[in-house]
Amino acid sequence: MGRTDYLIKRAVFAVATVFVAITINFFLFRVLPGDAVRNLARVPHATSALRHSLEVQFGLDKPKWEQYLIYLKELAHGNMGVSFTDQQPVWSNLREDLANTIPMVSLGTVFAIVIGIITGVLSAWRRGTRLDQVSTNLAIAFYSFPTQWLALVLLIYLAAWFPAHGRADPFLINPTWWEHQKDVLVHMFLPSLTLALTLYGEYTLIVRSAMLETLGEDYILTARAKGLPQRRIVTRHAMRNAMLPTTTLIALSLGYIVAGAILIETVFSWPGIGNAVYQAVTERDYPMLQGAFLVLTISVVFFNFLADLLYFKLDPRINE
Amino acid sequence: MAMRPDSGEGIAGALEAAPRGSGHRSWLWQVISESRQAKVGLAVLLAFVAIAILAPWIEPFDVHTRVGPVYAPPSRAHPLGLDDGGIDMVSLLIQGGRISLIVGFAATLVAMVIGGGIGIVAGYFGGWVEVVLMRITDYFLVIPDLPLAIIVAAVWGASLTHLIFVIALLLWTTTARIVRAQVKSVRERVYVERARSLGASNARIIFRHVLPQIGPLLIANTVLTVAVAIFDETALAFLGLGDPTRITWGNIIEFAFLRTAISSGAWWAVIPPGLCVALVIMGCFWLGQAIEDALNPRLKVSYLSPRVFRLRPLPITEARPR
Amino acid sequence: MSLLEVRDLHVWFDLSDGGQLHAVQGLSFDVDTGERIGLVGESGCGKTTTVLAILGLLPPSASVAGDVRFEGESILSGGEETVQSRRWKDIAMVFQGAMNALNPVKTVEAQIIEPMELHGTAEGAAARKIAGELLEMVGIPAVAGSRYPHEFSGGMRQRAALAMALACGPKVLLADEPTTALDVMVQAQILQVLTGLARDLGLALVLVTHDLPVVAQVCERAAVMYAGEIVEVGAMEELFHAPCHPYTRLLFAATPDLYGEEDVASIPGAPPRLDREIVGCPFRERCDRAFDRCGRERPGLLPLGDGRAAACHLNDEPVDAGFRSR
Repeated sequence: MGRTDYLIKRAVFAVATVFVAITINFFLFRVLPGDAVRNLARVPHATSALRHSLEVQFGLDKPKWEQYLIYLKELAHGNMGVSFTDQQPVWSNLREDLANTIPMVSLGTVFAIVIGIITGVLSAWRRGTRLDQVSTNLAIAFYSFPTQWLALVLLIYLAAWFPAHGRADPFLINPTWWEHQKDVLVHMFLPSLTLALTLYGEYTLIVRSAMLETLGEDYILTARAKGLPQRRIVTRHAMRNAMLPTTTLIALSLGYIVAGAILIETVFSWPGIGNAVYQAVTERDYPMLQGAFLVLTISVVFFNFLADLLYFKLDPRINE
Repeated sequence: MAMRPDSGEGIAGALEAAPRGSGHRSWLWQVISESRQAKVGLAVLLAFVAIAILAPWIEPFDVHTRVGPVYAPPSRAHPLGLDDGGIDMVSLLIQGGRISLIVGFAATLVAMVIGGGIGIVAGYFGGWVEVVLMRITDYFLVIPDLPLAIIVAAVWGASLTHLIFVIALLLWTTTARIVRAQVKSVRERVYVERARSLGASNARIIFRHVLPQIGPLLIANTVLTVAVAIFDETALAFLGLGDPTRITWGNIIEFAFLRTAISSGAWWAVIPPGLCVALVIMGCFWLGQAIEDALNPRLKVSYLSPRVFRLRPLPITEARPR
Repeated sequence: MSLLEVRDLHVWFDLSDGGQLHAVQGLSFDVDTGERIGLVGESGCGKTTTVLAILGLLPPSASVAGDVRFEGESILSGGEETVQSRRWKDIAMVFQGAMNALNPVKTVEAQIIEPMELHGTAEGAAARKIAGELLEMVGIPAVAGSRYPHEFSGGMRQRAALAMALACGPKVLLADEPTTALDVMVQAQILQVLTGLARDLGLALVLVTHDLPVVAQVCERAAVMYAGEIVEVGAMEELFHAPCHPYTRLLFAATPDLYGEEDVASIPGAPPRLDREIVGCPFRERCDRAFDRCGRERPGLLPLGDGRAAACHLNDEPVDAGFRSR
């Protein structure tokens, strides 16, 4: 099937998935045992009159299919409702949360990818040696550490040098732009480091596996016969081929990172979208929960689609 | 990160390496005994399972009785110190291991049944049944696990049974995918066609011919899924969605966090439970990966290696006419 | 002094059960400038291992004894360092199944240019021009060089691999089954190219194959290998018409002749195991002329004059014993 045909098919699938996610999102909260809905819709310390007016506002008194259509209509206008906790529009809260999460997660992810590629390539090249064994098992170990636990361990040992909570120092009065950036970066260090350590193991294993596969191909033997030095064979011949499946797999994993950052943000009180989910659960802030869930789902769909695109662009073999 | 089991790519050739019929158990044993990685993984797992089973007898102290001050540091009587309630950490870990392992295994079992069932039905019957089931699976795969689990757990309420099902909800999709791929390729085989032409019922074919073939890979997948299940349990417990009335490793970490173990400097309340979880996950990983590697014949010899061929002196042979 | 000299080459491979496979057992041969010599034998007789050993491309599980000398200088006894400097610009190789020898993510042209720039024989536009000429020589249009390997057919890829091997103007070309999986027309073309290169440019060719008509077409001399050693060597004509080793005779007889009327003979049995020491002649089990000396004593490669040699006791026996009847 044609290249563009396939991409269109994937795009349609992506859009359909978002739609399904929206629908699931809707039903998850409303087509549940009545008590559960009441549970979530409950605003702490609300009078029954306030509760009733909220129910009307969210259309909880109308039949389900009407609620669904209202929900879709509002969504189309970018209206995700209003947070129960702070009465702000959900979308503006989420925007701010995303703006906090993305830099922290990006920093950690970039480090994880770089370290993962280096260790994976070295392990594959030196397969069977001590370096390979240590490196691989270290990767497995970090991959196995519970994320929140790793965050706590880093907190215990590094809290003397790096701030342990939040994104900025509340006592820093009127900082310059540069001072503020430095402050944020210092606060970002521990959460990003945790993310990098927890992620890199998976990438090491992916890269190592792809490289091993590549190093067994005949053109590697040819490259050796040509007199190419080993390092050049690894970087110019093997890596280019191994990066194909690697890039796809890494892109696929990106979609899940934002969600997984929930644990890290909780430990470090980082005001991002992960923390928002956690707060929303604790405070039963149902519109926020719904909005955050939707955003996270869309991010996964987006990165999956990106992975498809990347694969196509990188592999010269997918042609007709 | 919400840990995910391997997405099952590249297993197409796996069936070729697996033995047929009744040779499975001995083949599996052979694979394990030949791989140091598998042996270590199995040993670690068995050790933890043994501790969990023997828990009531080997716990040094009762987990509900206070035996000292809050966050007492490690001492000879209490090698891992006491938690914020003055309870012995070693006993807590042993108890916690019990529940954590039970949750992990139970969730995996449920996921295997659901995922396996869907995979078998989709792979065997094909057609629109397959399309529909696989679409559902694909959608589930795309939805981010942890948020989904959080929402379901929050809505459904905290209890151990609910926790097991929530975790199973995250795990079944990978199994379904792998099982479907396997079943499809087994279905094409000659002996299945023959059985069908002889009039064997579908159920009989599935149970007697298909299931034994996919057995080994399913075992590898199960072991790896247990790892993810235990990981997810700690994550959900940490977010307050576990069962607070029970002692699990995840809960221990959560309580340590909530009750300021860090600022009290009580590393013994935090580090040991996480290490236990990590060890179990690593054990599962080593074992499962070793089985998967044995099934997957695609690992070729590398043409690039830090070592090269060796030089030797000429062998001394009887003088031969040249 | 010949251009390429192989002396007493032994190769062992480590086996997983701790033993060793003696894949090449004391091989010696010479190749001169412009000479085309064939290395013939069944699969598994060690021919590919031999040429891999010459370029030092054996895996770490291999141990090597003996020597390979190029232009008088020993290249094998110094290990990887000494042989590395000779690769491609002095001795080049075309591999078996060359369709996979090309890197799928680089253009064909880039892969031909790469060794030129690495070894300093040409660069930039000049290199591209040479690459184009090499492609034309093997029958591929020069413009096709900017394409990727998967856009070529299997036969074209094999030819491209040949062009790539010639990129640095090597003095020796080791060709391992270069024409297997090619159709007859393309095969003929390639063989013509190889012969022409040897005649016009003095390229020494070692052609490894099990395909006797190919050897007959291209090579002047051939060495017949069996169980890791050379059992007969000599000019093609003589090997065919007057073989001095039963294996050579049976081998040539086993080649179907389109116009002949005899039944196609095959050699019963299988080659001996190389993981244990062979007592007596390795071909004894399958030989139709074996006698009791063959079971006790292993024949060495006996020179028979005029560049001929054979490893068979039959050549050793007194003439009137009647064993050399044909």
